[in-house]
Amino acid sequence: MLDLSPFRRAFEALPAAAQTGERRKALDAFLTAGFPSTDLEEWKYTNLAALASLPEAALQPEAELASATGHGDALDALNAAFAGGVTELRIPSKTRREEPIRPSDRAHQRHRLYLERGSEATMILNSSGDGVFETIFADIELEAGAQLHLIRLNDAGADSHRITRINLRLSRDACCDVVTVDLGGRLSRHDLNVDLAEPGAAIHLHGLYAPTGDGHVDNHTRIEHRAPHCISREQYRGIARDKARGVFNGMIRVHKDAQKTDSEQRIANLILSPGAEINAKPELEIYADDVKCAHGATFGQLDDEALFYLRSRGLPESTARALLTWTFAHEVLQHIRLEDVRGRVTKRLLRQLPNTEQLEALQ
Amino acid sequence: MLDIQNLHARIEGKDILQGIDLRIGAGEVHAIMGPNGSGKSTLSKLLAGHEDYTITDGTVSFDGADLLELNPEERAAKGIFLGFQYPVEIPGVSNMVFLKAALNAQRKIRGEKELDAADFLAWVKHRVKQMQMNPAMLSRGVNEGFSGGEKKRNEILQMLVLEPKLMVLDETDSGLDIDALKIVADGINLMRSKERSVLLVTHYQRLLDYVKPDYVHVLAGGRIVKSGGPELALELEEKGYGWIQQAA
Repeated sequence: MLDLSPFRRAFEALPAAAQTGERRKALDAFLTAGFPSTDLEEWKYTNLAALASLPEAALQPEAELASATGHGDALDALNAAFAGGVTELRIPSKTRREEPIRPSDRAHQRHRLYLERGSEATMILNSSGDGVFETIFADIELEAGAQLHLIRLNDAGADSHRITRINLRLSRDACCDVVTVDLGGRLSRHDLNVDLAEPGAAIHLHGLYAPTGDGHVDNHTRIEHRAPHCISREQYRGIARDKARGVFNGMIRVHKDAQKTDSEQRIANLILSPGAEINAKPELEIYADDVKCAHGATFGQLDDEALFYLRSRGLPESTARALLTWTFAHEVLQHIRLEDVRGRVTKRLLRQLPNTEQLEALQ
Repeated sequence: MLDIQNLHARIEGKDILQGIDLRIGAGEVHAIMGPNGSGKSTLSKLLAGHEDYTITDGTVSFDGADLLELNPEERAAKGIFLGFQYPVEIPGVSNMVFLKAALNAQRKIRGEKELDAADFLAWVKHRVKQMQMNPAMLSRGVNEGFSGGEKKRNEILQMLVLEPKLMVLDETDSGLDIDALKIVADGINLMRSKERSVLLVTHYQRLLDYVKPDYVHVLAGGRIVKSGGPELALELEEKGYGWIQQAA
């Protein structure tokens, strides 16, 4: 049995007022259930046991309280206990929020966002802080006709451990465009669950995972087509180098009543070092008979002809490789609609690659 | 400028070049013609440093240096430019960023000062105008969504911006309508000088109406089987390649 006592001790070191009954209940639920075992298919490649050996001081539960909250499974309970409650936000019906929602960079965040009928917003969930261990859990609901551009960003340092989970529920004709980016870090697990609950809802997912060093990045997505005439588009790209490992699992389930579903999933992976590894798996379950579902996965190296083309123009080989790697990533990054965020991710990605001074102007 | 002697090369165990001898002096324009599969593209790519070919015999010197010792980027910095038969698309990287990175990378290898953004912009815009291209193309991705003709024109634009000494143009004329062919030919002629040389690799005589070569060579079976003046191109156009292959 894994010793989870550092989590208890970190919690008990909080001021008494912060140790509410609600939080303690969540903590106990987590301590009882423990981390999910790698025997579970969902956790086959990602072992969270390493989190139990983090020093107590690195765990950093929040001392500040937010609204009381219930909890679901063990990880949800851990987040509920450490975040100190949930931060709720509501976008009123038919309003467009111009200023993007940028929650403060707390180590442990728990959000609940409601977009009322016909409202529009942009949200950035950022776990790029200095903390060794951070968790972000978000429940987001889009009412009829609402639109959300959601960006999830993790470009934290080499010692970082991140668990994030986003649950999205879309009502009739709601539309959500998500870009999720993992650059670096020791361990990152991100779960993205999408419920297309009513007819006409549309989800667009764009994901980039680029672990480096001996980092491990695991993205699990699950799209539930529960109603007819919904659209899902999913594009994930992985870049692995050094001894890094990337994991992607993309489940799409088309329920019995979800006729006229239009779904497409594209997975592409670049493996840049012999020691790097990517496990990417599409999973389709289709119970309706009148649907359009396309999917494909590729694994490969950089294109030799393109490399030769760039070098024949004078670019050093390392710069040419960096440029083609960036191009590969750009297919995802171009969907980030906030220029400052896109620029920051580009810079960070280029910094990971050698000889990129000539490429500073890329965006 | 370029001196190729007894060049033999193979790819995947197949001998493609079987003893090429070719000298190109400064200021000269040479055309290499020949049927498909004769080794024309192999020779072009090999000069630019493509790594898929194994040189089994022979030498290539360029401005006194052993060209075969240099990697593609070093050859580019020394002044070799290959106009690709099938230019590659680089989505997401604008022509502007690409050209500036390429020019400054070459200048860096040569130990010259890199151009700043303003100087580069003025230079590249001047060249875009000469190629009768829309300046808006500079912010589009390299060859991204370009038609075949636009890609070829973009090759010549790159050549004008980079100002190489030896221009190897691999079937740059194929897939061009007559207007585009004239613009491409004008671009090549703009670069002709006493210091620069051109190697045109082509199937057809058409381009040679606009870019007059000093010498024409026929490549067949991996060797140059006949050399002559511009009139040889006309003869080939009329009679095809059969008679030469038979004579060889």
